[in-house]
Amino acid sequence: MTWPAIRTILDGAVVTAALAAVSILLSLPLGLLVALLRWRRVPVVSGLLATFVSVVRATPFVTLVLFVYFILPSAGLELNPVPAAILALTLNTAAFSSEIWRSALQTFPLDQREAAMAFGMSEAGTFTRIVFPQIWRANLGPLVSEVTILLKCTPAVAVIGVVEITRAASRVGAETYEPLPPFLVATLIYTALIAAIVRGQRVVERRIARRFGSVSP
Amino acid sequence: MAENAPAISVRGVCKDFGGFEVLRDIDLDIATGTTTCILGPSGSGKSTLLRCLNWLEEPSVGSIRIDGKPIGRTGEGKAAKPMDRRELAAARTRIAMVFQHFALWPHLTVLGNVTEAPVHVLGRPRREAEEEGRAILARVGLAEKADMYPHTLSGGQKQRVAISRALAMTPRVILFDEPTSALDPEMVGEVLGVIRELAREGLTMVIVTHEMSFARDVADTIVFMEGGCIREVATPHDFFTAPRSDRAKGFLFRS
Amino acid sequence: MNGLLVVWESRDVFLLGAANTVSLVLGCLLFSIPLGILGAVVLMEASAPLRRLLAELIDLLRCVPFLLLAYVVYYGLPELGLRLDSWWAGLLSLTIYTTAYLAEIFRSAFFAVAKDNIEAAHAFGLSRSLLYRRIILPQVAITAAPMIGNQVITTIRDSALLMIITVQELTFAANFVSANHFTPFAPFAAAVGLYLLMSFVVEEGVRRMERVRKVRYG
Repeated sequence: MTWPAIRTILDGAVVTAALAAVSILLSLPLGLLVALLRWRRVPVVSGLLATFVSVVRATPFVTLVLFVYFILPSAGLELNPVPAAILALTLNTAAFSSEIWRSALQTFPLDQREAAMAFGMSEAGTFTRIVFPQIWRANLGPLVSEVTILLKCTPAVAVIGVVEITRAASRVGAETYEPLPPFLVATLIYTALIAAIVRGQRVVERRIARRFGSVSP
Repeated sequence: MAENAPAISVRGVCKDFGGFEVLRDIDLDIATGTTTCILGPSGSGKSTLLRCLNWLEEPSVGSIRIDGKPIGRTGEGKAAKPMDRRELAAARTRIAMVFQHFALWPHLTVLGNVTEAPVHVLGRPRREAEEEGRAILARVGLAEKADMYPHTLSGGQKQRVAISRALAMTPRVILFDEPTSALDPEMVGEVLGVIRELAREGLTMVIVTHEMSFARDVADTIVFMEGGCIREVATPHDFFTAPRSDRAKGFLFRS
Repeated sequence: MNGLLVVWESRDVFLLGAANTVSLVLGCLLFSIPLGILGAVVLMEASAPLRRLLAELIDLLRCVPFLLLAYVVYYGLPELGLRLDSWWAGLLSLTIYTTAYLAEIFRSAFFAVAKDNIEAAHAFGLSRSLLYRRIILPQVAITAAPMIGNQVITTIRDSALLMIITVQELTFAANFVSANHFTPFAPFAAAVGLYLLMSFVVEEGVRRMERVRKVRYG
C-alpha cells in the first residue's frame, strides 16, 4: 500500500476517534438520566424509556443507523450522515449504559441514603454528594467497556457514508482494486485503539482501587 | 498377598506444601473391617493424610496400597512412576469419600447423586443401580427424598445423602473428612448415628473427626496426630484413659 | 398507512431476510457452541504455552470490530484460493467471532463450578471426559444461560452487519424495500419488530433455564 492510501485511512481514524469521543460524552450522561428517570418510576416516562431500552438492545446497530439516517428528513431535518451517526451512537450507548447506571442505583446501600437524609441533605444533594461519587467509581470498569463496545460499533456508520476508518479503507480498496490490504490496516488500527483503551482501563481501575480502597456500592 | 493385606497400608508418606512439611514419614496399617478415627489438633495433618489415601493430595514421597494394590504410583522406590488418569480413576473406585461440606452435585437429584458413579464409572445397569440406590437411601432414612434436589435438604440430610453416595460404590474403604463439623449441632446426631450403624456392620472406615465421645464409642483404633506425625496408635480405651505421649495428654486435657 | 402496505406487499423479501438472519445465527451457534466449549477446555486443561497462545488470540479477536473481521474473511478467503459466496463467508466470520466470546463465557462458567464438586468427582473415579460431560457442562448450561443468551442476542445484532458484504439478511431486506419505495419508516420498523421478536424468543429460553435453576439450586 502507498503512503497516501495509509494517510487516507489515518484521516479516517481521526474521524472515528472524534465520533466516539463526542458520542461517549453525550451518551453516558444521557444514560444516567434515563436510569434516574426509570429508577424514580416517573409515570409514563419510565415505561417509555423501558421500551426504548429494550428496542435498542434488540436492534442491530447498523439497522439503527440506517433507521435514524433515513428518518431525519421526515422529521424536517437535512439528510446529513455525521449528525445521524452521532445520534445513532448516542442512542445506542445511552440505552446500554443506562442499564449499568440503573443496576448501580438499585444496589446502592439504602442505609447510606437514609444517613444522608437523617443529616438533612436534600434528595438532589444526596445524589450529587453521596451517591454519584461512589457509583461512577464502582462502575468505571463496565462504563469504560462501553467505550470499547462503542468503538467496535463505529464501523457500521460507514454504511451511511461517514468517511471514518472503515469507509476510508473501502475507498482505498475500490481505487486500488485490492480490498484486503486496506481492511487489514484498518483492522490493525481498531485493534490497537481498543487494546489501548482496555489497557488504560486496567491502569485506572488499579489506581482508583489504591486511592479509595475496593469500591463496591 | 492380597488375602491378608491390610485394607490400607501407608509407607513412608511425606507431604510438603512449598517447603512446609505437613506430613512426616507416615506409616500406618488399617485392618479390614475396622473403624479408625484420626484425632489431633487442627493443622496436625490429619485431613491431608486422609486426602492422600485416595490421592486427592499427592504425597511428596511414600506409597499407599489399598487391599495390597498401589494407588497413585506404580512400582517401588526409584522405579515408581505416576499412574495415568485412567488407572488412578479405577483405583479410586475402591475407596469412597464423604466430604466435610458434602460436595453433592447440585444439578442431580438425590438419587442421581447416588447412582452417578455406579452407572457411569462402574458401568452398572441403571435400573439395578437405582433400585440399590433407593434401598441405601431407605437405610439412612431418606427414602422419600430420592427425587428431590440437594438444595432442598438440611445439612444433616445432605451428609446422609453423601454417605449413601459412598455406600453405593460398594467400596473397600470409606473415608470421612470431618463429616459433622459443617453441621448445626442438632443435626450431628443423625449423621453419627448412621456412621455408628455402618461400624456395627463391619465396614472399613477411616474417620477424621473432632467428636471425642463418638470416637471413643465407635472406633476400633484411634490414631493421634500432631505436627504432621502419628504420635500414638491405640485402642480407644487405652488412648482415652492412659495416653502415652504428653502431647496426647495435653490434647485430651484441652478438649 | 402507505408504508404498512409497502411492507405487506414486500412480505416475501422480509421473510427471506428473516430466514437468512435466523439460519445464519443458528448455523453459527451450531458450530460456535461446541468450539467455544472446546476452547474453554483448552484454556483450562492444556499446557501453559498453548493456553497462553489461545488466551492471547481470544483477547485479540475481542478487540476487532465484527464488520472488519467479516471484510477480512470475505476478501481474504479468495486470496487463499477459497471462493465462498457471501452467505458462507458471513457464517464463517460470525462463527469465528462468536466462538471467541463463548469460549470466554464458558471458561469463566467452568471456573465458577464449585471446587469440592469437582473434587468429589475425582474421588469417585470419574474420568476427565465424564467430569466435563456429567458434572461440569450440565451445571454450566444452567448457570451460564443468561450470559449465553446475551451472546446470542449480540450475535443476532452482529449478523445485520453482513448486509454490507451483500448477505440478504433482515436489515438488507429493510434497506432494499425502503430504497425501492422511498418510504423509510415502515420497513425499518418492521425489521426492528422482527429483531425484537427474535430477542424475546432468546429471553424466553433464558427464563426457562432460570426456572430450571430455581428448582435445582433454590
